Amino acid sequence: MNLTTENTAIVLDSVSDYPEAAARFPNMRFVPLYVRFGDETYRDYVELGPKEFYEKLRTATELPATSQPTPQDFLTAYEDLAAFERIYVLNVSSKVSGTYQSARLAAAELGGDKVRVIDTLTASLAIAMLSHAVQRRLARGTTDEEIDALVERFYESCGVVFTVETLEFLQRGGRIGRAAALAGTLLNLRPILGITDGVVVALAKVRGRQKALAEFQRRLEAATEDRPGLRVAVAHADADEWVGTLSKLVWEARPKAEIEFSASLGAVVGTHAGPGAVGFFWFQDE
Amino acid sequence: MELETVRMLSGTALQNLEAHRKRIDDLNVYPVPDGDTGTNLVLTLRSIVEALDASTAEGSAAVAKDLSRAALMGARGNSGVIFSQIARGFADVLGGSDDMSTPRLARAFRAASDAAYRAVKRPVEGTMLTVIREMAEEGERKKTRLLPPPEFLAAVLARGEDALARTPEMLDVLREAGVVDAGGAGLVEIVRGVALGAAGEPLPETPVESEALGFEAIHLELSQYRYCTVFVVEGEELDQVGLEAALERLGDSLLVVGDASALKVHVHTDDPGAALSSATAMGVIEGIEIANMHHQTTAREERLLDAAGSVSDSLPTLETGIVAVCPGQGNRRLFEGLGATRVIEGGQTMNPSAAEIVQAVEATPAAEVIVLPNNSNVILTAEQAAALASKPVRVIPSRSVQAGFAAMARYLPTLSSGENEAAMLEALDAVATGEVTIASRDAELDGIAIRKGGYLGLVDGTAVAADEDIDRVAIEVVERVLGGERGWLGILTGEDAPPLDALLAAVDRAHPEVEVEVHEGGQPHYPLLVVAE
Repeated sequence: MNLTTENTAIVLDSVSDYPEAAARFPNMRFVPLYVRFGDETYRDYVELGPKEFYEKLRTATELPATSQPTPQDFLTAYEDLAAFERIYVLNVSSKVSGTYQSARLAAAELGGDKVRVIDTLTASLAIAMLSHAVQRRLARGTTDEEIDALVERFYESCGVVFTVETLEFLQRGGRIGRAAALAGTLLNLRPILGITDGVVVALAKVRGRQKALAEFQRRLEAATEDRPGLRVAVAHADADEWVGTLSKLVWEARPKAEIEFSASLGAVVGTHAGPGAVGFFWFQDE
Repeated sequence: MELETVRMLSGTALQNLEAHRKRIDDLNVYPVPDGDTGTNLVLTLRSIVEALDASTAEGSAAVAKDLSRAALMGARGNSGVIFSQIARGFADVLGGSDDMSTPRLARAFRAASDAAYRAVKRPVEGTMLTVIREMAEEGERKKTRLLPPPEFLAAVLARGEDALARTPEMLDVLREAGVVDAGGAGLVEIVRGVALGAAGEPLPETPVESEALGFEAIHLELSQYRYCTVFVVEGEELDQVGLEAALERLGDSLLVVGDASALKVHVHTDDPGAALSSATAMGVIEGIEIANMHHQTTAREERLLDAAGSVSDSLPTLETGIVAVCPGQGNRRLFEGLGATRVIEGGQTMNPSAAEIVQAVEATPAAEVIVLPNNSNVILTAEQAAALASKPVRVIPSRSVQAGFAAMARYLPTLSSGENEAAMLEALDAVATGEVTIASRDAELDGIAIRKGGYLGLVDGTAVAADEDIDRVAIEVVERVLGGERGWLGILTGEDAPPLDALLAAVDRAHPEVEVEVHEGGQPHYPLLVVAE
């Protein structure tokens, strides 16, 4: 089957931090996770944008928690896409969220083999970049096999490096191995983190912002080549003063890279990374 | 080489060395309390004697093997490590047959000398290396080689003494301090003990004021017993020998020191009650301290198990564990807080043995282990331990506690030992270290006049300031380590640290941007250890 933007849809969950997807592309949908402050539950982005979330976080007496979309949420999205013959669902890593599970249950509920659910093994803007990579192929016409191959390559060549102000949020949410976190708490050291095999891992600890930037650059240079097709996404949690610095770093290290996204992390990712988290994702597409 | 002979000669060597331990310890070449060469050699030799006592080896080869291994496992400090290589060189030659003729002894001295030189990366003349080499050369002289063994040993010894006397001519630091090399002096006394033993001549009495080894020192020896028991007995005409005999049966690491009116007792035992009873029969006991030596280890293991049981399924097991050597309870907690799996008490005045490090490595629940020796005098021992351990070990050459602290901060248990090593070496490269200590003698060092009892500031091993006022010294040291470019300052306060108010205020005034981190280290001898990055 020849897949095009006419007959193939892409469903993202809100961990992609790409809420504009549906407005930009008629064949895309955006399914929010939930953020709960005490008794109040909000749909990520839809009812609680990043700005409001970080404000709320500053004054909240209780720290927020997140929960995955229900299978029904996905089923509703699939049904809304009845006109399409193929649906690709690009979900946050199944190792850190049950979202992938909900999407699969919904696909089984729908029946047939129209829906293909992908465990991206990553999070946030990396998934947004993958959705664009799929979309580029749909625009020129593609096949399931080609998309399978793309996802395989994405696993290989997509990377992220980020740092957080405190490991408390990652730890509390259980999104990082405790052993890795243990050693970072005592001192004024900045953890350099990444995502490997779908989980957040500590890559190094450095002292101070300059050292963190140097480490970012080193990791970017080690993982990528400076050639067209290299895409980068800069992300921050209520710390947009870093965006300029990081963009400059990327351009200087990899002049041929395209900065495809530059965005704030939403409430769900923010709940787990904590305010002040910053970093960038990269993906070497063809 | 027969077990009985080797036992006897090691015993006489130890006895003679013990008699000179204090004098050798005092041969410090720097005006700071140094690595206690005499104590280290005594502890090394003592573990050889103990291992030989326990040995059931039959035949030259087996005896030689036990001797080599005992020396390796017991080695403490640089001098101990070099001596262990000397012992090994001897054992390699003498283990070949029962022949103990003079030509064979000459070959043994040569092998010992070669092994000692191989043990150090950059051999320095004017040290125990020179002494063993000249001994070997003497043994190879035609005239000496024809002597019967006792006279051969006497000739070799005389040459060793002569070489020792010339060490100040070879090393400036010795000449400036007006001393001979401590390790060389230790080696001479060991060989003298062997020569006296072989000739059947009387040995010097061990001096009575033998606080033989500090209580702290002996504390660190490995013990199979649970309770470290310390107390003082007061009375009249106390029977020291009788008490020792009674306590000997109850445990190990026994020390009974003092005089007829007061004895201080230290023993590791499973039955502290029985130890106290045997003393109450003699007099009044005071100052009782009983510590469960296994408690700390057990508590820690439980904590680790607890942590492992309650974490999410994605938690990786320890890829790399850390064994660190450091003095002071505060530093121990600091290193443990940063994730060290095992912390061995030790450092400047108490170098751990290779065996202690091996044991800590083996007890570390990780696939690979990194050792932070945290003292230049422990690096060789750590490397020796690395070679003996059953799992891959990397030694990070941290030359001070504060340097080790900077390296330790980079540790991530989930990374491989190679990755951790790279990050730690980078940290060592990036830091400057300094310390403030109290001078143990008048001296001139690096152009700085130092008065005994005054404060001395060192930066990366070089004297930079000396003054009666610690703040002046500390501020100078801190200025130098910051070097106008470093943004982070770590301070580890010693057990007799002064208030830091003046120092911290001065740093804040001069460098408001510098981030300062102070920890109570609790190390002896150094009121302040500082590191900047």
